[in-house]
Amino acid sequence: MKRIKRILHVAGNDLRIMVGDKIFFFWTLAFPILFIVLFGLLYKAGDNAPAVAELTVVNLDQGRWGAYFVEKIKAPNLELTMAASEPAEFSRLLVLPADFSAKIEARRDQALAFKKRSGASTKAAARVETRLYQTIARVLCELVLYGEGDLTKFLDGHPEFRDIVRVESRFPEKTVTVVPSGFDHSIPGTTIQFIMMMVIIYGGISVLEDRKKGVLGRMLFSPLSAGDVYQAKLLGRWSMGLLQALMLFVVGRIFFRLNLGSVPLALLVIAVFALAMAALSVFIGSVCTKEDMIIGLAVLLANMFAGLGGCWWPNEIVPPAVRKAAMISPAYWAMDALHKLRFFQGGFPDILPHLGVLLTLAIVLAIVAGRSFRIKD
Amino acid sequence: MRRLLLVLGNDVRRHLKSPLAILIYMVIPLAMTGLIGVIFAPRTEGRELPPIPVLLVDNDKGLASKLLVSSFDVDQMKKMFQVTVTDEADGRKRMGRGQASAMVVIPKGFTVDLLEARPVTLLVVKNPAEQFLPDVVEEFMNTMAVMLSGVVQAFADEVRGIRAMLDLKVDSFPWETLGPEFGKAQKKVVAASKYLNPLLLRLKTEETKAPGARRSFTQADLFSAILPGMAIMFLLFIVQTLMRDIISEREDGKLRRMMTTPLRPLELIGARIFGGWVMGVAVLLVMMAAGTLVFRVTWGPFGDFLLLGAVASFWTAAFFALLHALVRNRNQAGALSAPIILAFSLFGGSMMNPEVMPKAFKMVGVLTPNRWFIDGAAAVRQGRFPFVSLIVLLVSGLVLLALAVPALRRRTSV
Repeated sequence: MKRIKRILHVAGNDLRIMVGDKIFFFWTLAFPILFIVLFGLLYKAGDNAPAVAELTVVNLDQGRWGAYFVEKIKAPNLELTMAASEPAEFSRLLVLPADFSAKIEARRDQALAFKKRSGASTKAAARVETRLYQTIARVLCELVLYGEGDLTKFLDGHPEFRDIVRVESRFPEKTVTVVPSGFDHSIPGTTIQFIMMMVIIYGGISVLEDRKKGVLGRMLFSPLSAGDVYQAKLLGRWSMGLLQALMLFVVGRIFFRLNLGSVPLALLVIAVFALAMAALSVFIGSVCTKEDMIIGLAVLLANMFAGLGGCWWPNEIVPPAVRKAAMISPAYWAMDALHKLRFFQGGFPDILPHLGVLLTLAIVLAIVAGRSFRIKD
Repeated sequence: MRRLLLVLGNDVRRHLKSPLAILIYMVIPLAMTGLIGVIFAPRTEGRELPPIPVLLVDNDKGLASKLLVSSFDVDQMKKMFQVTVTDEADGRKRMGRGQASAMVVIPKGFTVDLLEARPVTLLVVKNPAEQFLPDVVEEFMNTMAVMLSGVVQAFADEVRGIRAMLDLKVDSFPWETLGPEFGKAQKKVVAASKYLNPLLLRLKTEETKAPGARRSFTQADLFSAILPGMAIMFLLFIVQTLMRDIISEREDGKLRRMMTTPLRPLELIGARIFGGWVMGVAVLLVMMAAGTLVFRVTWGPFGDFLLLGAVASFWTAAFFALLHALVRNRNQAGALSAPIILAFSLFGGSMMNPEVMPKAFKMVGVLTPNRWFIDGAAAVRQGRFPFVSLIVLLVSGLVLLALAVPALRRRTSV
């Protein structure tokens, strides 16, 4: 019992020193919040494409079919801008040629030019393109249905096209009922990334400095053994990761209405993940001899793991091979578990495999870190 | 000058003896460029998205539902969607686990309802953890719905005949009446073929770029756009590591000893800033070579880029000279440098394309060297001389230098 108390005391002291550092709050709170805001706004729900997708239409048609076609394109999520000629600036452009009506009335096939500006929203472009295909399908159906005779009189009156088949969309039962906000993705993603970065940098450097300055050696004059010192260091870095996650979740809840699904289970995921990172930080701090090496390694590992693990962008847009490769990243397992909890309202059984992987990693890293932990250089 | 060069040469030798940290900083931008480039590379098949996993549940198992299911079996659809036909219970279970982007459910009685021209609804269950792909499936189903509605209305009479056939027993069905019905249907098919074969209206989609931009965007172009942002970010890291000597020598007493030699403070300061500058340029050249060899990055005219790199490196050296003149010790320098670099990189566009950033972020970005370097590199790549970037970096660099030198002189005098 006394031994545990001593370990807790050293770990608590480590945490107190780190929290006492003024720059600690920049790293743990201010900078991650900048990331959260940036990525949250970028992947805001329903905002991957603008709420209303723009389409510029140049209707050069000299007959009536051009206007009829434009009327059919109109939809609530589409903003049509009419232009007399091709403008210099546009996101998406449809050109109806001068002989558009003439060709339809002569039943001659034609291809309509649809131009998408590269760099404009891909999703908005897909939405507009799909709408154009739907319009073409609708007009063709009407022609097949009612276009037997003289097509010049077609627009004088014909029965309305009926949408017999409709599509209804929703989310799976017992999951979410509204589209989760971009912050529900960016806050866990940033938290995971900064736990990696912070715990490795702060945790690693302090292990290195304590060793170099002889602090670790002096601790052995107390009733602590080398194993106790190691466990205390591990615990200190683990609690630092947990503290950072708690701060970001609380800020996320207050300012961005963060919803984690099950909070206790989300914290459990973070706890196991932070333990793995704490062990990694002690390992790196034990084997590196220079502060810059630790910072470099931390930035490299944290960014690669975060990028692969889905902390920055939705994993769905990632090629299948990279998605498979992502499984080597601990961030992937943590993010996937947090997604299960948030987006699928999952429970403990749903995240059990993730916890298993992260815990195994934490144990392996803890063993490796324990073996390489040195009191003196 | 000779003494300045001696100090500089000694510094370079010292840093080359233990280059691991600098090497790590040089590997990071290349690794990050590789990762982002692989993920966002334009697909060779001309598709912007990977195949979309879709679950298909046919609760009807009738003629119409089978036709709908088979529409996913066309080659073009196979490339776009990765379809798994399953039952509803299994589908719900899989969707609950997030194993597909969407599940399409064809309801029971779909065929009969269609044959009777009664409104019918297809259900698309979307994966809530995904943002793009479920919408693609929904829009595809909307297009299918329009086409199905059209077919049902076009062949309303024939559809009614089929409906009657389904209700009657085989022996009581008036088979002899089918002949004229098939004849009518044939006429409709022939009439429809005037519009459908070839399609009377088609869409010819073309991707365009802003005037003057290149027509096609390759993976190498993507790497070319990412690497300069990463390079300036890690140039900042590397130069600040090198410039930290200014403080460490003061802290461990080396400076005091150096000042007992004929070396003048100004020469030492000059050597440190010049050293940071020269090594920054060297690091940029190595990254340039690695980027060209590994990612086939195009930089534009070499001389223009080198000039931009030299000016950016000068700015970086002057900035960290000033920072190290203002801070009290090495810990403070370390604690301030990394956040400043990361903030520069975040706002300046090293971590994200500035075009997609919120307005406020873009405005702050103008105050960072990253933004000017990235803009300048883009200009060089497009064959333009990066005049504005060079002026901004050079003038602000000179201001920083003018502030740094007197401040460092005060800290160097013993």
